[in-house]
Amino acid sequence: MTGSAPLHVLAAGALLAATAAAPQPAAAFPDEPITIVVGWPAGGAQDTVGRLVAEYLEAELPVSVVVTNVPGAAGANGVRDVEQAAPDGYTLGTKGVHAVAQSYMNPNATPLDAMDPLALVNIDPAAVSVHADTGIEDLESFIAYLRDNPGGLINGNDSPGGFSFLTAELMERALDIELTKVPYQGYAPTVSALVAQEVMSATLPVPMVADLHEAGDVNILAVAAEERHFRAPDVPTFTELGHDFVFADYVMIFGPVGLPEDVRDTLESALLAAMDSEDFRAAADGIGLILDPQGADGAAALMQATDAAVHPVLVEAGLVETDAQ
Amino acid sequence: MILEHFADTLLTTLLDPRLMLLVVVGVGIGIVLGALPGVSSTMALAILLPVSFGLEPGAAMLFLIAVFMASVYGGSISAILVNIPGTPGAIVTQFDGYPMAQSGRAGHALAYALIASSIGGLIGLTLLITLAPGVVAVAMSFRSPEFAMAAVFGLVLLSFASGGSTFRGILVGLIGLLCGMVGFDALTDVSRFDFGTAALQGGVELVPLTVGIFGLAEVLRNLAARDGALPPVPSIGSMIPPLGSIARLWKTILRGGVVGTFVGAIPAAGSAISVAIAYAQEKRLSRHPERFGKGEPAGIAGPEAANSAGVGGSLVPMMTLGIPGDPITAVLMGALLIHGLRPGPLLFANEPGFVATIYVAVFLAVLLTLVIGFGFMRIIAQVMRVPRALLFTAIALLCVVGSFAIRNSMVDVYVMLFFGVVGYLLYMIRIPPAPLAFGLILGPILEENLRRSLIISGGSWSIFIERPIALALLLLSLAAIVAPLVVPLLRRPSMRPPRDGAP
Repeated sequence: MTGSAPLHVLAAGALLAATAAAPQPAAAFPDEPITIVVGWPAGGAQDTVGRLVAEYLEAELPVSVVVTNVPGAAGANGVRDVEQAAPDGYTLGTKGVHAVAQSYMNPNATPLDAMDPLALVNIDPAAVSVHADTGIEDLESFIAYLRDNPGGLINGNDSPGGFSFLTAELMERALDIELTKVPYQGYAPTVSALVAQEVMSATLPVPMVADLHEAGDVNILAVAAEERHFRAPDVPTFTELGHDFVFADYVMIFGPVGLPEDVRDTLESALLAAMDSEDFRAAADGIGLILDPQGADGAAALMQATDAAVHPVLVEAGLVETDAQ
Repeated sequence: MILEHFADTLLTTLLDPRLMLLVVVGVGIGIVLGALPGVSSTMALAILLPVSFGLEPGAAMLFLIAVFMASVYGGSISAILVNIPGTPGAIVTQFDGYPMAQSGRAGHALAYALIASSIGGLIGLTLLITLAPGVVAVAMSFRSPEFAMAAVFGLVLLSFASGGSTFRGILVGLIGLLCGMVGFDALTDVSRFDFGTAALQGGVELVPLTVGIFGLAEVLRNLAARDGALPPVPSIGSMIPPLGSIARLWKTILRGGVVGTFVGAIPAAGSAISVAIAYAQEKRLSRHPERFGKGEPAGIAGPEAANSAGVGGSLVPMMTLGIPGDPITAVLMGALLIHGLRPGPLLFANEPGFVATIYVAVFLAVLLTLVIGFGFMRIIAQVMRVPRALLFTAIALLCVVGSFAIRNSMVDVYVMLFFGVVGYLLYMIRIPPAPLAFGLILGPILEENLRRSLIISGGSWSIFIERPIALALLLLSLAAIVAPLVVPLLRRPSMRPPRDGAP
């Protein structure tokens, strides 16, 4: 009997150790609510997609997933909140092309290597449209007009660094043309400026102008994607027309760098599972998203490709304020 | 088309218990806050604004407009019962309301104010619905040059507005313009005036600024004032005045309502001016001008109708042009912006359903103010005695929590605290703080559209003269600057309207 006492103590100790170890993150992630930070106001594209993902991610995890909007500084404030959060997997964020541009333009913005992409949700390809009254009906006459009159079309776009601004810059290079670029605060004012002919062309994504195109008020000339856009199937891609120009905005979910391996894996597979559900696809289809669900590697590759495309443009436009890259 | 939307929205709102509860709660809080001396409609709205962030935009507007409308009426309660206007717009109501209450007819005075207020509110709403499409039709042809000139016009008018000298108003307005430049430049995304800190890159948000200058600063003001206990509240008595005397007031109420709407629609004119005009007009048209000041029902009904009709009027420039005409609509505009809705002609084109929601909100707020006013007047009169220490502590707390709630950022709380102190200091040196908010709203509109116009015109300023509407707005602005210099020279003796004392 005397010999067995220490054994009991040992067993009890082992049991205690086991129970104490149980709530460690390794075994039980996640056990508290996860926050997805959106760097834009409620109602925008990043917010809409962020909320959709949160809703379906919740079904894959035992905890709730909440969206917080931290807008300001062209999305940089929200991205920074994620960067500075503890890398425990409980704070994630959404981001698009804006985060790449801001990382160079704004010394206070988060550098790209401080973001860890976990999954890609959707892409939103660039496009170029003109008002029907310009009489320009296809990309060839658009190019011809601008070659004859460099800067002769006023183009509505974002302020520098925004997606539709970068579209205009990249398109100018790809087609060897020159536009007069006028910035607007967001897509909706750009659309109304195009309709009212304050601008003659606009580098807006297809969903913003699809209805106007159908009504004949606006001609979408080309889409900068591998495939035609389902909202405007009659519009050719730049590639079809012989121009090498593919560029898309996107929404990806990312976290701060330094996530534990298992937490990262859990999140990545939960995100992929959420985006794989029938209902998610139906909901995304309903709001006109082009889904492109990919895991961490795919998301990182897209971020690198965007970086490679955008960086030279920013350098040439004199917008790079940081010494990154 | 808008009437169909109106009927639809009205029906869905009436059938939704949650929305109706929001309106009832909004009206209840609004009446009480309006009745409390020291809490203006602007302050009531500013401190309750953050409560609406969690709601969807339509529900938020129902709640906020209920507070707005009800607080405008609530101001008359303390004016009548204790001779202190609860809000600046009730300043004239006490001339006849208080004597009537002293003569034992407090209930009658409250009823006249309530009925006139309700009918006035409906007149304002009707004119809003009829006038807005016309203004929108013009505003639809607004492009960047017109918006730039509209902002100039708004700035000129608003700098005259806020009491005190025009020069000081302009000075504060310019500081507001500067605040509007903090953060990312709208056209180039270059960060300005951020002192190298990430915190200021998001810019100065409108809501923390308004909560600071209209909420916290007013709390400080009230705390610093000598804590005079309110005079005893007289017994209310019967709230049913003789039907004949109500019927006799119909012309008075109609006149007051029309004056109130149109004066309310002029940016910067404000309720204190419209009630003064309404009072003077009734006194002049009355067969018994000598009865005014001694408890004449028309002296209550005219100004109260004008005051409430002004709500509809003040929504005209805010909704159609995106230019707030007074501090209250400036705060309301902050709420719309938080929900991603920029008021202006595009709102009418893209969100007719939402515009209808605002109309429905005004309509329901008027009706429920009438019902709750008659039903719970005795309780409301007692609530006025809530200890001021308790009241203002609660308001200060709401200011802090509310500022944080805007975008979950402590920076906004610091901004609110900063402007609370600034607002109080400005009050101490007798400078109106409201132009800060106007500058903050109009500055970015002016800058963005001015610079964009110049990019489009290739740098030529003639773009503002060649376009007829832009030119007209420019000339109106010039006239507004020159008129006060020229008019006194004509030496026409006229009554000077009382100035809007507190925003």
